[in-house]
Amino acid sequence: MTSIFWITIAGALATYATRAGGYLILSRFERIPRRVDRALNAVPAAVLTTLVAPSFLKGDWREALTLVLVGAAVTRLPGVAVFAGGWALIVGLRQLGG
Amino acid sequence: MHKPPDIRPPRSEIIEGLKASIPVVLSSMPFGLLFGAIAVKHGFTTFEAVFMSATIFAGASQMVGLELFGTTVAPWLIVLSIFAVNFRHVLYSAAVGRIFRPWGTARMALAFFLLVDPQFAETERRREHGLRVTWRWYAAMALPIYAFWIADTWVGASFGNLISDPHALGLDFVLPIYFLIMVMGFRQRKSFIPVVVSSGLASVIAEHVVGSPWHVSLGAAVGIAVAMAMPIPKEDASPAGGIE
Repeated sequence: MTSIFWITIAGALATYATRAGGYLILSRFERIPRRVDRALNAVPAAVLTTLVAPSFLKGDWREALTLVLVGAAVTRLPGVAVFAGGWALIVGLRQLGG
Repeated sequence: MHKPPDIRPPRSEIIEGLKASIPVVLSSMPFGLLFGAIAVKHGFTTFEAVFMSATIFAGASQMVGLELFGTTVAPWLIVLSIFAVNFRHVLYSAAVGRIFRPWGTARMALAFFLLVDPQFAETERRREHGLRVTWRWYAAMALPIYAFWIADTWVGASFGNLISDPHALGLDFVLPIYFLIMVMGFRQRKSFIPVVVSSGLASVIAEHVVGSPWHVSLGAAVGIAVAMAMPIPKEDASPAGGIE
């Protein structure tokens, strides 16, 4: 088997360790302390934000404008529609060239 | 056939799960295709690309892995990078792992394997809306996502050379749009704005100072620390407060 194969296996085990690990650590506690509970409550927004924020600055005004409009639109419209609209918008803006 | 009684009709849970999977299947499709295409260009066979999607099942880390495979980076460092990009999942399984416990060990083990970002976000959202998170719902959402991810990789690896300009098609920007929509889904939560602003700023700074992918762990850590540091509102504080 190739080295790609073995590195993939190791990468898969490392990934699985992250996906089960948090529970295995936390299940040792009887009750979750309130501070920990609040921390866990903040996890999804905190993590997902880090996957978006750098994109704000990486592109030019097209990328920034698209994200601003998507963020505003999703407070009123269903997510799937906003996703499709946002994708169409970035493709359209990039067609403008410049 | 004897059917055990259930609180909600199983069919509606399956349909709700399938519905939740649709936007994820659509939005991850470009990445699956792209991953397959790039993998082949990096010297992977179609089997190796598909095998990676089937076993790791984490788009961003697979992309990082690809990038490093092409270089002389040591194998253990590639594995460590995959681990670092995926480290956020530790927080996910800590947050929702208890929900899986009643399902039994085998399903629980499988549920952890399938715990990708949108799966976690939808699970949290469903619980927030007071709906039961059952294995039926969870599997109905997760399995199509997994199956399509593998299929997309295969198609991308087979036909990748047909995509001439991924930038013009916006393929590099689909993920940020999708993640932003998910972030906004949590805007009713306590401390939403302080968390988003602090982790956003911290991740941008960390990306410049330390570099990717560490900005994910560092940015999230700052946002979570801010959430923990926020004063506890009156109605939230129990008389027993302070024991912790």
